[in-house]
Amino acid sequence: MRRLPLHMQIFLGMFLGVVLGLLSIFFGWGNFLTNWIKPFGTIFINLLKLIAIPLILVSLISGISSLKDVARLSRIGGKTMAFYLVTTVIAILLGLALVNTVKPGNYLSKEKQIELSAKYASDANLKVTDAKKLSESGPLQVIVDIVPDNIFGSMANNKNMLQVIFFAMLFGIAMIMAPADKTLGVKNFFDGVNEVILKVVDIIMKFSPIGVFALLASLIVDVSGDDPSQAVELFQALGVYAITVLVCLAAMIFIVYPLILRIFTKVGYNKFFKAIMPAQIMAFSTSSSAATLPVTKDCVEKNLGVKEEISSFVLPLGATINMDGTSIHQAVSAVFIAQAFGHDLSMADQLMIVLTATLSSIGAAAVPSAGLITLVIVLGAIGVQPEGLALIIAIDRPLDMCRTIVNVTGDSVVSLIIDRSENGIPAENEPNLQ
Amino acid sequence: MKKWRDLPLYAKILIGMVIGMIWGISAQSLGIADFTQTWIQPFGTIFINLLKLIAVPLVLVSLVDGVSNLSDVSKLSRMGGKTIALYLSTTVLAVTIGLISVNLIEPGKYLSSERREELKAKFATDISKNIGTVSSKEDDSPLQMLIDIVPDNIFHGLSDNVNMLQVIFFAILFGVAMILAPKEKIKPVKDFFDGANEVILKIVDIIMQFAPFGVFALLASLNIDLGLMKALGVYSLNVVMGLGLMVLVIYPTYLKLFTKQKYFTFLKGILPAQILAFSTSSSAATLPVTIDCAEKNLGISEEVTSFVLPLGATINMDGTSIHQGVSAVFIAQAFAIDLDIGQQLTILLTAVLASIGSAAVPGAGIIMLIIVLESVGLDPAGLALILAVDRPLDMLRTVVNVTGDTTVASVVSASEDARVPIESPPTSLE
Repeated sequence: MRRLPLHMQIFLGMFLGVVLGLLSIFFGWGNFLTNWIKPFGTIFINLLKLIAIPLILVSLISGISSLKDVARLSRIGGKTMAFYLVTTVIAILLGLALVNTVKPGNYLSKEKQIELSAKYASDANLKVTDAKKLSESGPLQVIVDIVPDNIFGSMANNKNMLQVIFFAMLFGIAMIMAPADKTLGVKNFFDGVNEVILKVVDIIMKFSPIGVFALLASLIVDVSGDDPSQAVELFQALGVYAITVLVCLAAMIFIVYPLILRIFTKVGYNKFFKAIMPAQIMAFSTSSSAATLPVTKDCVEKNLGVKEEISSFVLPLGATINMDGTSIHQAVSAVFIAQAFGHDLSMADQLMIVLTATLSSIGAAAVPSAGLITLVIVLGAIGVQPEGLALIIAIDRPLDMCRTIVNVTGDSVVSLIIDRSENGIPAENEPNLQ
Repeated sequence: MKKWRDLPLYAKILIGMVIGMIWGISAQSLGIADFTQTWIQPFGTIFINLLKLIAVPLVLVSLVDGVSNLSDVSKLSRMGGKTIALYLSTTVLAVTIGLISVNLIEPGKYLSSERREELKAKFATDISKNIGTVSSKEDDSPLQMLIDIVPDNIFHGLSDNVNMLQVIFFAILFGVAMILAPKEKIKPVKDFFDGANEVILKIVDIIMQFAPFGVFALLASLNIDLGLMKALGVYSLNVVMGLGLMVLVIYPTYLKLFTKQKYFTFLKGILPAQILAFSTSSSAATLPVTIDCAEKNLGISEEVTSFVLPLGATINMDGTSIHQGVSAVFIAQAFAIDLDIGQQLTILLTAVLASIGSAAVPGAGIIMLIIVLESVGLDPAGLALILAVDRPLDMLRTVVNVTGDTTVASVVSASEDARVPIESPPTSLE
């Protein structure tokens, strides 16, 4: 076990977790698993989240202040935003193309539709009210929300990542502008803390095989509930929809990203895939790109040689505003619900989906579990009753896990491209894996 | 566009103010109030947020830095303790004058009661919180205020702008501890705070670049009417009166008590510094002239001026302190809130202590006021009310700041001369 490279250990943990999860469904160990295994998964996620805010703050300050030049920062920023926007739009278009061809909404029987609507109505309503709150505030509220009025207050809550990013950028830029000899004490401090935090991430990663094992074992039990046949039944009803989403996500990972990488860099996709696999597994097990952030950063820096000045800026930003997987899910789900309700969507409606899904994926960055809430906004924009959300809530969790993989992969792709365009190929060609 | 760039910052802020005021007056009649609300007001909010954002780090870092430096200078020179005590006494007097005059004159009451209710409603969230704490305070012991100053968790204290006094308390405690610890062991800490102070001042710079737009947005979304203008007029008079009292009564008294200097000669001697202070509204920028006047016209030795005046430019701001006291209470009156004696004491304490930390940079006055407002739970957005007249008042209060520094220099000089003449000269201050 000790000899195995870390990503193999994580893989093993994942595999054993799934096996244990399946076994406990058949032998009825559900309770045991929830009481004695699941807490380790929760501890693991807590550890990752614990380090996320310090990591963003410190690495961003240390990264930006090493740039020496504000113009360079704005160039990197502009490029990053452009790439994030383009990948998001591609993702949405991909989703729309497939869902319009497959028409999964037509496979949902009327009885099943009524049953689902009734069962998940209250959950759906919750999201609808959240979305209302979001869209009632003025159009500029998004920008206002990014500017915190107390940085210590923002740091006390993981939901305020964008505010922390804002403050760290402000601080870093001020450090570039202030005379270097006077700020040396600050620079040394943050560089040192940055080193420490990287080590903390290393320590947490040692624990990751166990964490992933616990997360997946308990997840399988949670999803299937006490009655596995229910899960199978649910899958039969929503299967075509789920498969459509999954195929889109896979297309993103296996076709779109390799293509983008090929065009802009010389990194072989195999190598890339292998390098960020730990991050992908972590994304799958935690379904949170924020919690995965420390791992993603670790992977792209150590395995792909991305410079920290790039990754410390591109990745936290991506974790909050770039969600390719979520965007695909928005597009497919919106059309699926419309189809199920018998709405015909015009070309204009489809364009509306592209627009609102893109905007809301950026705008709702500060909102937790933004996916379903922004979906309400997208549905509202094309005139489908948002309560249709109830149809898809049941299988949202597993799909959420998969789309987080795409979100994280997308962020990594962009960070790699920006790095290569800024810094060229690292001296020793591409760094080796391990 | 190039022209705009070349303008000095204060001119840009002035332009933003005027355009904002015109916009604010005409918005109602042109029917663009809704547009203003949706598309312009947010930028005002962002500006206020930026100022609030930097307030806590500024107080924390600059106080730690300031206090730990202060000990150096007071140990270096026997003048140190005397000077700091004098500076603190004039600052306390200044804030007290401001508070008493504003409570007597009540400029906020010149707003119509409907208008005050409207403002109250607009800033209701903070006010209700504030009223809640006031009522709960009533049955506490009279020392509750002291207890509240000592935080039981500094990170919690830092995470809410209302706890400004707690932050100040912790920063002073930390600064004093830094003085007492062996110097070579705390060097990395000192370096860190020195650098962080530098960085935060730079952030204030960056934020002030945004000030013209922020000021414009704040004034444009403020619906300006006759009542408000009248109240602003009385408020300005109130500030000017306080400043006048300082220059015409307090400083002459100091000089009479501690020196043989004639006040008229004194005023005549520092007139050039006052004029420059008036036109630049920066006591730091005026400093060379102040030193020159004090030495040449008042005959104060270089040994005194080179220590007392630069220190005064950073920690002694009598005019600014009067302004803090008057403005905080005025804004509370405009929001139809009554500040009790405990809250007024909080204002006094916060204004005096914050003045030690805040540097002589443009914008420091506004940030100090934000700190004071938040310490009594008033919504700093109320700042919008007084922004329109801030610039002229800023010019006047800088005159008082400079005059106060010079007065203290005279007093220190007189007491130094009274000592046994020509003992071995004290270690030079570079």
